[in-house]
Amino acid sequence: MSALLKDVNEQDEFELSADAGDQPAFELEALQPESDHEAQPLQAELYLPEDNAENPELPPQFEFEGMARPVFSVALDDGRAVRFQHAHSLLESLEAQDVDVHYQCREGYCGSCRAQLLEGDVHYNTEPMAWLNDGEILPCCCIPKSHIKIKL
Amino acid sequence: MSYTTFNRNEFDTFKQPMFFGEPVNVARYDIQKHKIFENLIEKQLSFFWRPEEVDLANDRKDFIDLPEHEKHIFVSNLKYQTLLDSVQGRSPNVALLPVVSLPELETWIETWSFSETIHSRSYTHIVRNIVPNPAEIFDDITRNEYIVRRAISVTKYYDDFIELSNYYLQLGEGVHTVNGQTIDVNMRELKRRLYLTMVSVNVLEAIRFYVSFACSFAFAERAKMEGNAKIIKLIARDEALHLTGTQHMLQIMAKGSDDPEFADVAASCRDDVVAIFAEAAQQEKEWAEYLFKDGSMIGLNKDILSQYVEYITNQRISALGFDPIFESRSNPLPWINSWLNSDNVQVAPQEAEISSYLVGAIDSEVDTADLGDFDL
Repeated sequence: MSALLKDVNEQDEFELSADAGDQPAFELEALQPESDHEAQPLQAELYLPEDNAENPELPPQFEFEGMARPVFSVALDDGRAVRFQHAHSLLESLEAQDVDVHYQCREGYCGSCRAQLLEGDVHYNTEPMAWLNDGEILPCCCIPKSHIKIKL
Repeated sequence: MSYTTFNRNEFDTFKQPMFFGEPVNVARYDIQKHKIFENLIEKQLSFFWRPEEVDLANDRKDFIDLPEHEKHIFVSNLKYQTLLDSVQGRSPNVALLPVVSLPELETWIETWSFSETIHSRSYTHIVRNIVPNPAEIFDDITRNEYIVRRAISVTKYYDDFIELSNYYLQLGEGVHTVNGQTIDVNMRELKRRLYLTMVSVNVLEAIRFYVSFACSFAFAERAKMEGNAKIIKLIARDEALHLTGTQHMLQIMAKGSDDPEFADVAASCRDDVVAIFAEAAQQEKEWAEYLFKDGSMIGLNKDILSQYVEYITNQRISALGFDPIFESRSNPLPWINSWLNSDNVQVAPQEAEISSYLVGAIDSEVDTADLGDFDL
């Protein structure tokens, strides 16, 4: 135990008057290292899932025999049609199929992705905190329970 | 009815409306009439952050290198953000706390307002980093006519409500003569002013702030002022929560489930609501003109920002159950989404301030092997 404790009486070696002559002059503005590539915006570091949420490369952890994941059609009011099968949320599924949806928090409290549910039913993975008017859904935290039709 | 800091009347806490019921006595959160406000408090507390966590050393250098017209855009935008948070750091407390009647809503208002004071502190942190004398920037907020004009429209609903509610708290309902002036204090007018105040707060949080965020992120999109953008990301996360809180308050009022008179007031104010949104959108466009008066920047100019104003105004007004007021369009700044999302910066959390990284968290897992060389 005693070996773990530092002897407070024993001073660390410490030289107060180091020879300052050898030190390089202190520079306030650090020299920028030469670099031939342009500064990348921070945005380039953003994490975006590499695999397509609707076409996962890895098989899901549990796959019951004879019980394939159900596929639900997701129709948009402007005529576009996509499908929902593998994604964790309706928002991910739409993004994976090139449907642009406004988003911010992606976890149900900001309400940016708010959409109207015209037909069908959804299940919420987490209870949304954002205000929802009648007939509205939050794609970031729900998945379809049936074939659905939505208006963004 | 006069305000008391601890109401000694006996009443059913959970039968009170949000506002103008019995003043709150026991701050209890065991049961909530509106659970949403409890959830908002929990969420806001989990978001706690401090401006000093974000390193702004590179921003100083970036700022010095900006061309003059971009400095004008950056500094003016920062002044505007400072103004908005100065108002929001105190006004919800001053205006709403004296008339609130539910403990969870009272605490939400305090938590909400407190988080705005963190935003204000972060502006000082930013200003200190970019200019040698912060007073140059702060003093101009009360002198610059463009900012003053906006301050008036941001605060007038608050001030109108506070004026009348002060009379109400001192004198109660009725017609009173104060200093020779006749003042008519009636509940209907109080509720009308409160409702319009909440609408104007929603406009402030959900439109005005987002326009300023767009400017901040436009710099970061070009790899400039990135520390500032990280702070704005954290502020945007808080504001998203605040606007949700305000939308809930407005919609609970409009539904009338907890105070039927509010439903009536809200129904009679529909035109005023549209006018407040339209006025704010117009002011934001005029502001865009002032920002870009000496020149645009890459990725953002007066027209694109004005289109964003229309887009975000439509989004926010339809969230309240109103028809969009501008021609519908897609988001003119699609890149703003990933900037607004606060949890997607893939860098080591101890190097950059990823918002889900807990400050001061400790590893409490102890394995017996850790005690292997330990003897007494």
